[in-house]
Amino acid sequence: MKTASIAAALCLAVGANAGEIVVQKLQGDVKVRHGVTEVWVTVAPGDVLRPDDTMKTGKKGSAVIVLPSSAEGSGSTRTFVLPGDVIVDMSDVRALTPEELMLKLTMEKVRASSYQWKSDDLQIPSAAVVHGADRSSDQVMRESDPAAGVLQINGAHVLFANGFYATCALRGMEVFRLYPPLAKQFKSRLMVAEALEKANLRGEAVNEYAAIAKLDGISPGQQTLVHGRIEALRKQ
Amino acid sequence: MPLSRSVVLICIVSTAVSTACAQAIFSPRASALGAYGPLVQDARGFTANPAGLVGMKDWDFYTSTYAATSSPGGGFVFSGFGIGKKFFGSNALALQYTPGTTLDVIQPSSFIVSGLNFASSREITYTEPLAVAYAYRAADQLSFGLQVRMQTERITDIQFSLRAINDSLNAVVPVQDVSTRTTWFADLGAHWKPLANVSLSALGRGLLRTSGSGIPSSYDSYTLPVERALEIGAAWTVTPSLTVAGEGSTIGRGTFGVEWVPGFNIAARGGLYAGDGGGRFVDAVGLGAGWSYLFLEADASYLLFTDQSVRKGTINISSFDPSGIKDIGISPFTGNTASISIRAILGSMREGLVKIEGVEMTGGIYPSAYQSLAYRPIGKVRVRNTSLRPVQARASFFLDRLMDAPTESQPVSIQPGASADIPMMAVFNDRVRGVPAIVIREGTVSVSAAPEGEEDDHIRTRILIHGRNDWDGSSASLRYFVTPDEPEVIRAAREILLNEKDSLAGVPAEMGPLRRAKVLCDHFKGRLVYVSDPKHLTEFVQYPTETLVSRSGDCTDMTVCFASLLSSVGISTAFVDVVPPAQPEKSHIFFLFDTGLSPKFGDRVSSNPKRYIVRKSKTGQETIWIPIESTAITRGFEEAWTEGAQQYFDDVEIGLGVVQGWVHIVDVY
Repeated sequence: MKTASIAAALCLAVGANAGEIVVQKLQGDVKVRHGVTEVWVTVAPGDVLRPDDTMKTGKKGSAVIVLPSSAEGSGSTRTFVLPGDVIVDMSDVRALTPEELMLKLTMEKVRASSYQWKSDDLQIPSAAVVHGADRSSDQVMRESDPAAGVLQINGAHVLFANGFYATCALRGMEVFRLYPPLAKQFKSRLMVAEALEKANLRGEAVNEYAAIAKLDGISPGQQTLVHGRIEALRKQ
Repeated sequence: MPLSRSVVLICIVSTAVSTACAQAIFSPRASALGAYGPLVQDARGFTANPAGLVGMKDWDFYTSTYAATSSPGGGFVFSGFGIGKKFFGSNALALQYTPGTTLDVIQPSSFIVSGLNFASSREITYTEPLAVAYAYRAADQLSFGLQVRMQTERITDIQFSLRAINDSLNAVVPVQDVSTRTTWFADLGAHWKPLANVSLSALGRGLLRTSGSGIPSSYDSYTLPVERALEIGAAWTVTPSLTVAGEGSTIGRGTFGVEWVPGFNIAARGGLYAGDGGGRFVDAVGLGAGWSYLFLEADASYLLFTDQSVRKGTINISSFDPSGIKDIGISPFTGNTASISIRAILGSMREGLVKIEGVEMTGGIYPSAYQSLAYRPIGKVRVRNTSLRPVQARASFFLDRLMDAPTESQPVSIQPGASADIPMMAVFNDRVRGVPAIVIREGTVSVSAAPEGEEDDHIRTRILIHGRNDWDGSSASLRYFVTPDEPEVIRAAREILLNEKDSLAGVPAEMGPLRRAKVLCDHFKGRLVYVSDPKHLTEFVQYPTETLVSRSGDCTDMTVCFASLLSSVGISTAFVDVVPPAQPEKSHIFFLFDTGLSPKFGDRVSSNPKRYIVRKSKTGQETIWIPIESTAITRGFEEAWTEGAQQYFDDVEIGLGVVQGWVHIVDVY
């Protein structure tokens, strides 16, 4: 164990190899989930993370990871601090270009019309109705526990704070999809809208602000804030 | 007092007047335009360039009459008739009989013998009564024509001789001396359309000739000159309604013509002639009109010569010089002439409204996707509107045996003179799915712009028919191999589920698709073998029934097979087609299936959202989709899911493959 710690310290002393994500410092409960597995495993300083890994910190946990700088080939690194109660995908700790973000968002819309690719096919009108839903079981399904979603939203806030606006917006939207109750949180929605704005997608930001303005239960002050943002964006 | 045996010639007086009468060019259209070589398109006046005969539709009959208005007492007389026939698509024959194509010169004279006045005349007649031609279209834009013309020269001379009536009486008796010579000429012509609106023509006249020897040398001064000539012409269709043409000859003759077709089945024509022997640069002006109705076409023309001095039917005998006659139809002695002709087009007489300029097939026919070809173009045909009005053109395609009837495309509007591409569809019958391996067949492309659907043009074109298992490599067309409604597929899927009915019981209805997919995939755990495609020219894909029977296949075969099995029990699927840009040879395909679960139940599927994808389903609702690596199904559902999810995350989320366009997701059903 001591040998491992020394090795890790040496590694940290010389810095991470270019392109690698290296765990620099840990405190409290910090775990990692590799790839598409479902198991959280412990992590130690000096461990190299893969882009498909996910890191989770406990309530009093925190982690510092060293990332390759966005400037390709520069060899420089930057640190990224995960506070407590967050889940962050390592694939999100990167800067997407506005074009990539735009395309990602567009692909979401394309999905909505994914059957339009058949538009040149012969359209056979269907009058058939599917009768007989499966009622063999009356078990009621429980929705996903929003606790995991909260951690992911917290992670999105960390991404925002570190300037990863594009991945922050995408992650926020994904969490809202998986955990619909979280989509009603003003603060989180506002973060996504601001992330879109900072990612220079003003049209999408305006749409998001407009959607926030329609949320139930937001205060007059929040309404004023949102409308102010919309006006400011439209003037630009 | 009777004449003595010795006749005394008191006086001989020759008149100073000859009579010349010539007929103009046989076809009024030709005489109005002058530059007719590049404009020959039927049997009318084909001797200008027989290569144009291939423009006939089927049968052509025509006849004409003319009136020499310069000559005193000239009424309309029969000029001749012609007949033409096109056959085998690119061949044409024509004949014209023109007894009226003559040039008559009469030299009257008189003499007095012993106070008695004797009238005499010498008549010289040149005719060109017969021409026969054959034309052949060597290519779409090139045709050749060969014609043989008959020309006669006839000199009729009245001579007087003394004949003894009795012992004491001699009489002066007229004796008619007729000398005739027939000459056959062979001409060779060519017609070339280098551009859609440009025609070029060339005609070598008198390249070969053969003539008799019926005219004594004493009449040599009356024989026509024999010259070989090359006539070069060009016509330019400036607008669909206006054509201009020019023609020149090595014998110093030049012509220029304009034809205007404003519509309403009428045409107006004008032409200029130069170098025909008059003293002015422009010897003649032609004016004409044409009118057509159904299968009849009437033409009229008037040829007006600028110098009338020798064209009034009488000339000074000293002016008659046959060496200046280059053409019997238009000679220095031809007078102003009005001509009328009627033409009848019989047989396939309808004028084609459109013409095929080219055909381009988009590629081979893949039997697997044959049903989609009913509404997806298999190629396009470039069609030109050759008529004078906008048309709605349709194309049809037919392939014998593999189609029950020609498939017609939607009509496309084409302006006069313009071209347009018409996509061609093809409704194949089931026999196409029996084509075992790649073959080349010949199909027929037809176009029509007539409301009645009569064919305007057609062309044969080759088409590649792939084998039933061939695949074009496109993930979009891979779905045509998915056959969830095949009885064998349905039976296999339901038997598997029936065998696992106990484990499926009690599963929440919402989880049903996921569980059924798991059961179906797990059934094949250890029962499938990954086998690469056989060496083949194209991608080879097995139909699901073939994979189920052989229990083997590659990633494509297995993806198709499991997409079919899942679809057959109501589970939607989508292909994920990955073509890494740096290593396209490592392209790969796997699939997603729709659990039907709302994203809010994501935890029920997996605690790691990377194991599933939220995307819109067929109904437009966002649902959870599971990625499956089909080749890993041999190791069970969980392994196949894990590998599929990892691939999807690596390629789509980290690699941004969808955004960058090297990953395609194609919904199947």
